[in-house]
Amino acid sequence: MLGIIAKSLGTGVLTEADPFGGRASFGFPVVDFSRCTACGECAQSCPSGAIQAATPTEGCKTLSLSYAACIQCRACVTACPEKAIGVSDGVEVAAYTREQLAQTASFTVDPETGRATFSQDAVHHGPGLAESAFRLRDRIRGRLGRSLHVRQVDAGSCNGCELEIAATANPLYDLERFGIHLVASPRHADVLLVTGPVTRNMEIALRRTYDAAPEPRVVVAVGTCGCSGGIFGEGTYAAIGGVDRVLPVDVYIPGCPPRPQAILNGLLVAMGVREARILPSREQ
Amino acid sequence: MSNALEVAANAVRELRPGELVIDASATALPGLADRAISGLDARLMSLFASDEREVAGRFFLHHVWSLPQLKRFLRVIAPIDPAEPSFPSISAKHPAANWFEREVMDLFGLVPTGHPNPARVVLHDDWPERAWALRKDFPAQGAVARVPGDYHPFRPVTGEGVFQVPVGPVHAGIIEPGHFRFGVAGEPVLYLQMRLFYVHKGTEKRFEHLPWRHGVFLAESISGDTVVGHALAFAHAVERLATVTVPPRAQALRTVLLELERIYNHTADIGAVATDVAFTVPASRAQALREGLLRIQDRLFGTRLLRGTIALGGVRHDLTSQGRQVLSAHLRVFATEFDALIALLIDAGTFTDRVDGTGILTHQAARDLGVVGLAARASGVDADLRRDHPHDGYAGVRFEVPVEDGGDVRARLMVRAREVEQSLLILHQVLDAMPDSAIAASMPERLPALASALGWAEAWRGPCTHWVATDTRGEIARVKVTDPSFLNWPGVIQAVPGNIIPDFPVINKSFNLSYSGNDR
Ligand code: SF4
Ligand code: SF4
Repeated sequence: MLGIIAKSLGTGVLTEADPFGGRASFGFPVVDFSRCTACGECAQSCPSGAIQAATPTEGCKTLSLSYAACIQCRACVTACPEKAIGVSDGVEVAAYTREQLAQTASFTVDPETGRATFSQDAVHHGPGLAESAFRLRDRIRGRLGRSLHVRQVDAGSCNGCELEIAATANPLYDLERFGIHLVASPRHADVLLVTGPVTRNMEIALRRTYDAAPEPRVVVAVGTCGCSGGIFGEGTYAAIGGVDRVLPVDVYIPGCPPRPQAILNGLLVAMGVREARILPSREQ
Repeated sequence: MSNALEVAANAVRELRPGELVIDASATALPGLADRAISGLDARLMSLFASDEREVAGRFFLHHVWSLPQLKRFLRVIAPIDPAEPSFPSISAKHPAANWFEREVMDLFGLVPTGHPNPARVVLHDDWPERAWALRKDFPAQGAVARVPGDYHPFRPVTGEGVFQVPVGPVHAGIIEPGHFRFGVAGEPVLYLQMRLFYVHKGTEKRFEHLPWRHGVFLAESISGDTVVGHALAFAHAVERLATVTVPPRAQALRTVLLELERIYNHTADIGAVATDVAFTVPASRAQALREGLLRIQDRLFGTRLLRGTIALGGVRHDLTSQGRQVLSAHLRVFATEFDALIALLIDAGTFTDRVDGTGILTHQAARDLGVVGLAARASGVDADLRRDHPHDGYAGVRFEVPVEDGGDVRARLMVRAREVEQSLLILHQVLDAMPDSAIAASMPERLPALASALGWAEAWRGPCTHWVATDTRGEIARVKVTDPSFLNWPGVIQAVPGNIIPDFPVINKSFNLSYSGNDR
């Protein structure tokens, strides 16, 4: 007993004041389209189809990149002959839609030389996100409005996402200090934190869990698989795909798996979504 | 080769170093299995089918055995005529084959004749008949219709005061889905039945539709806590197919990665057992230690859970001498803290009361069921691929294989604790004498056509094996993935009866099997 007390006292407080301080050593690939020649090497190298190269019409090429499908393997970074792909180190990556996580660039191809030049960037930076990040900072500074009860549902994950979700509760991240509690039953839950790819064999259980949660319930898709089916794909005989193939998803947290900070950030975004749903007038 | 096998087999071929093959007829399979087990102390590692109707007009059934005395694997292959889609079962005598044979039945439509319980194992009740997903003519894409069915009747309970407790698939904690049925009389559990495969993702079929170079990324996602183990097993198979030799430095770094994976998982599991008996101080210490390891991994390799570290032909990141020093220093501090953690646990009577004698898997049951890895070693089965079939840098390092006899929660905890010590020993040896060479060999443009090879690695939970076969173009025709969980779940079923329901979480945690690895 004395040993335990000594250990507790000797250890002190491990919880980090700013959980968003640590940077991700590899977030997501960022393409510098001005250097990109749309050669498509990155798309070839990408195991999960997150980068797609296409030639929609003669004289035009497109390159699209979706963080919803990216497994952060960095194959594209090394594959790019122009060294046009760098990496981001941000952890605040949550989005409200799959589309917000995607970007497409168009290129015009010179008929003489065959060289493609970047003509137009169609990057969708979710307009809500900057704002929510701002709101989050507020919350972290101690103006937490309410608490959030979270039920996690593994609807097909490889368990990597579960490892990082569980890590958010460890003494260093300690998500409970943000008023976020992982609860045992969907009946107590404000938020369902769903990992996927949703499998055929989990679809019914997932729907039932959703039905058991009280309104206004918020669904957060966690991980590349939950956002898009990831490396397992969509519409296969066994994997239905992203959570939004089965339930309406309010927040997407991409990453394979997302870091604990990214999950924490996504949950804080979800808190905002929930508040907006309860108090629509105040949010206007 | 040993006489034990020559009798029935026409010839034993050494297909690749460490991998023997016997071509047999299906009828010879049971006899060969008996002889391999009695004469060579063989252990079943995997059992699967392949659909080679397009190229050979047949299915094939494969039994894969570990022959530790010979330091070789043995694969017995038998052709199956599509006109008579069945094969003789060995499950009645060798229960380790039980789920494997039923999986072949579910996914290939080949019937194990003489199987004592030929019920579905992979397919849930609402799968149609004849939906044999791993047959080549079954489409990878496209939903499978749900049909009413009742293929998993749970054993009825009879007797006064005896009732059933259903749990799952969605559990109370952050764990993977599975359904458990406890038959209980008051508190004590009479029996446990389970239904798994909720997270069956069609992974083996998916491999067949990815370029072979991308397979390693899928392998990393078989079980998120065994990224290195499965990536290595896959990489080994592909490298053996391509007859590529992994450079010494890459082998050393792979050893480092696999041992780091072992340490962080063992530490987490020790903490999880403490959590499940509500002993919070060591539980939170263990979580903090684990987080420290993930962060150093992130810092050195750019990835917390070691994803993206294994390349076909080697590794993707080198470790500078400064990085090695940082790691060694971290591990030294870790070692002291880890010792203190274990001392805290085993000195506390409240803790040992809950783990001593809880969830016993007897030595005999572990042997009969073919349980593998740390769960087997905690029941006195002395087996470890790192020593018995050395891979990567293991032939060149000194280490012991800890074995405990108790078979209970405590024994599984102590095997983990002692393995962490050994891992630290291995890591320091490797980090102190890192060979100088490239960190990856280059892979050929194409893999040889119509070839196959076995890859294996002793990951933290136990052996991961991958059998990789190519088609006429040298692309992947079949990958059979075996996660240790698939062999060990029946061990949990045996270990639970006689305990009380509140002990189930701690027993389950002491095995900590992967649902995703099992279900794929
Ligand atoms: S880092 Fe993402 S986009 Fe790049 S190759 Fe890997 S999965 Fe594709
Ligand atoms: S996103 Fe990555 S870590 Fe999460 S379940 Fe999918 S494969 Fe596993």
